[in-house]
Amino acid sequence: MSRKFCLYLCLALLPMLGLADDISLPQLLARIRQTGQSQFRYEETRVLELASSPWHGQGFMLSDADGRLVKLQLQPARVIMAIADQSMYYWDPQQNQRHSAALGSAGAAAQQITVFRSLLQGRTEDLQPTYNFAAEKQGKQWLLRMTPKAEFSSDETPTIEISGDEDDQQRRIMIRQADGESTEYRLLKSAETQDSMQRLLQEAKGE
Amino acid sequence: MLLFPLLLALTVWQIRVETDLNAFFTATDDEDSRLLSGLLKSGELSRRYLIVVEQALPTNADHAASVSDSPVSLVAFSTKLVSQLAKLDDVEQVWPADQPPRDWIDAVASYAPYHARLFSLNPQADASELFDSAKLEVRADGLKQALLSPQGGFVKAIAKQDPLLLSLNGFKDLQSQFQQQSKQSQGGALILQSRPAALDSEAQTRLQAAIHASFASQNAEAGNAYRLSMAGVPVFSVAAQSEISQDVTLVSVVSSVLVVLVFLFLFHSFSALHWVMMVQGASFVVGTLATTLVFAHVHSLTLALGASLIGICTDYPIHVMVHCAKHRNSPLSAVRLLWPSLALGGLTTVIGYGALGFTGFPGFEQIAVFALASIAASLGLTRWVLPALLTKSELHAAHLPGIGAWVDFCGRHRQVLLSLFAVGVILAGFSLPQIRWMDYMQKLAMDMDTLKQQDATVRSHFSSIEPGRFVLIQAGDWETALQRSEAAERRLKELKQAGIVSEYHGLFPWLVSNALQAENASVYGQALTPAFQDAWRAGLVKAGLSVDKLGTLLPAVSEPLSAAKVLDSPVRHILSGQLMAGDKSVILSLWLGEHDPVKLSEGLAGLEGTRYFSQKDQLDHLAGKYRDRSLVMLGIGIGVMGLFIWLQQRDLRKVLLTLLPSAASLLFIFATWAVMGEEVSFLHVIGLLLSVSLCVDYGIFFIDNRGKDSDVTYHALAASTLTTLASFGALGLGKTPTLPILALSVSLGVTLGFLLCPLLIQKPSNQ
Repeated sequence: MSRKFCLYLCLALLPMLGLADDISLPQLLARIRQTGQSQFRYEETRVLELASSPWHGQGFMLSDADGRLVKLQLQPARVIMAIADQSMYYWDPQQNQRHSAALGSAGAAAQQITVFRSLLQGRTEDLQPTYNFAAEKQGKQWLLRMTPKAEFSSDETPTIEISGDEDDQQRRIMIRQADGESTEYRLLKSAETQDSMQRLLQEAKGE
Repeated sequence: MLLFPLLLALTVWQIRVETDLNAFFTATDDEDSRLLSGLLKSGELSRRYLIVVEQALPTNADHAASVSDSPVSLVAFSTKLVSQLAKLDDVEQVWPADQPPRDWIDAVASYAPYHARLFSLNPQADASELFDSAKLEVRADGLKQALLSPQGGFVKAIAKQDPLLLSLNGFKDLQSQFQQQSKQSQGGALILQSRPAALDSEAQTRLQAAIHASFASQNAEAGNAYRLSMAGVPVFSVAAQSEISQDVTLVSVVSSVLVVLVFLFLFHSFSALHWVMMVQGASFVVGTLATTLVFAHVHSLTLALGASLIGICTDYPIHVMVHCAKHRNSPLSAVRLLWPSLALGGLTTVIGYGALGFTGFPGFEQIAVFALASIAASLGLTRWVLPALLTKSELHAAHLPGIGAWVDFCGRHRQVLLSLFAVGVILAGFSLPQIRWMDYMQKLAMDMDTLKQQDATVRSHFSSIEPGRFVLIQAGDWETALQRSEAAERRLKELKQAGIVSEYHGLFPWLVSNALQAENASVYGQALTPAFQDAWRAGLVKAGLSVDKLGTLLPAVSEPLSAAKVLDSPVRHILSGQLMAGDKSVILSLWLGEHDPVKLSEGLAGLEGTRYFSQKDQLDHLAGKYRDRSLVMLGIGIGVMGLFIWLQQRDLRKVLLTLLPSAASLLFIFATWAVMGEEVSFLHVIGLLLSVSLCVDYGIFFIDNRGKDSDVTYHALAASTLTTLASFGALGLGKTPTLPILALSVSLGVTLGFLLCPLLIQKPSNQ
């Protein structure tokens, strides 16, 4: 087999490796990784099987280098969802509903937000056992498509797409559940002053 | 000689040693005892460990710094520990105390199709709140928020079948229990349910070692920032087993050494010691084999206690050897001479042990069989094997100082001593009514104050469901039992509001009677008017939820959710600790938190088939029952011994004289305890029963005086008294309170009986 044939073969298979443009998967994974503290304004659109129309919410997301994440929903009502100390916290003051659970024992309830944290903070190594990754780049836009591996394809594992631009100021995350429900987040880096992460965490924990 | 190794091999092949303490200590001859035994053996609550992980106490500034800088948070540490412990073979389930296990949540979801049949324990009273049309908008909005929450997946599965989420209404109390726990435990409290029974101390020891090993390995990675403490019935079980093992080793060693020393002191012959020990060993093997064949297993405590109790088996060889040594007889002629007395003495001892087996204390049934077989073997070997073995042994019988003098003294001052004895009997008789009976079994338990303190500290991290006290529901069938349980739960709810019980775990809505399901369905059907349905649909529209998928409120399913169906599902596992199998009845238990027993019992008054059950009260009741039975068996034992002595002697005066020393010692010991204020338990009585069976032998030998030499006979009795004191006295070293009680009772009885023999039985003439 000649060296030239091998080269042709590699070129032919290149798109299947997920490189539609000049970005490699490691480069993309490195790009989306958040190493320090960050804050995003977000808009959320959820399509629920039992809802008559998509639901919209918005607020702020705060994350830090320790892996803590706080999702502060301000519209349509104030709700805090957070991950800290390997636990998930939920506080809905309007409904007076407070939940907390260790991530390891909270089942599907914790799965989504754990995946979301991994996405937001770019901790894709957490997701690699479950997902196949494919990276694409078209112009300034990049896209990371994550599909459940065969052994996880039949359960509640969602399909995920995360996309952004070269400036890295905004990001879109699309999570599609196996049952047809979906959640789309549009994130925009923000410098607006919010309550401190610590205070929000305390509020979520009820301290 | 050839038979011994064969017997040994057969015993080793057959033997199955039981270490479950429950099998030894708890009787199962009535419904409540069986219940108690079952609870101790396999009760869900008794198989649970309460585990607390908390930050290690800083011992110095450096350590304090390391703790605060611990790289792993308490919650993360506990979460990882849960996953590690779940992998252990002996662990059935482990979960954080503030969260229900996953299978509980899945089980709750399975009740959705039956929502209209089990939404309330008081459907009539709750209907106005649950079916208020004016609140439907708020409820629809609540459903929407629940769908958006982290519990969205769980709520969606239920809402598709139960849009009003009525099935969750019944489980509200369950949720509040875990929320309460969440506030209390701060993340480090775990519940571990073991597979082995609580009192299977061998398996529990293995499990506790595995728990500590998992914790230690994980804690090392976390910089030893945490410490672990455990509580629960299995913790006490292992500690008790350890204490008992130490006692058994100590008692066996000391008893054996003392018997050997006494023997060597008496006969100065290693060769004779060797052969007598062989007779003892063979008797032990026969006892073990017989117990294994009768009970299919032999308890480790039977082996341990039995080994000490059959120390009296040396009495028979000793009598033969004393006569050999003193009269220079051959062993064969001595054993032929003494055989009638030996046989009758052995028989009365067997009667004593037989009576012991009928006292109701299950452990003593085994010991009785063990002793019967051992004594029979020892007698047979003494009669037919020992003489051949002793042929070449040189025996030197020691002269025990004071023995002859005491016999002479009793002879010379008989009138005075008998008058004093008569006065003593009268005084003793008057003091008997003052006797104090021990009413609390707890006083016979081992002193485990340190463990109890640790238990209290660990339990303070948990919501307080008490493992030993609950409400017991009994009925002939499931439907009646569930109706009674529901009536009791309604009453408990009122008692909780009145502050008499802090919390309770009932069976509703896991199991619901057909009657209550029908009542729920009727209330639901009446509430489901067209106007109500319209209001619900309007609420859905306003909340932005799908009317197509959630707008139809279906009528109640026609078939009730049967107990059989529930118990065929994983829910059985959740409720297994609250369902107990009775012979011909259904027995349910409602678990209780902290409560006032008297007010709670009063509060449950009038509820048919419902009563307050206290494990402690039941144990105390058992203690009283054992005591009464042991007193009866003491009387019966003495009567049967008298009968057999009469059958041999055919002389009522001789029978009474034979029994008199042991009966008198019995009276004086009871009187002494009465005067001293000693609390007398069934164990004291059992000890005295044993001492009577031994003392009667003394009377038999002293009256028979087969060697026609009362000094030799009394020397032989003194020798066997010494060996009995050596073997039983060693029991007094045990920490388990039962052992010193037995030691005291038997030693006092035997000593007094021995001393009274020459006083009460006129010195037989030497011919």
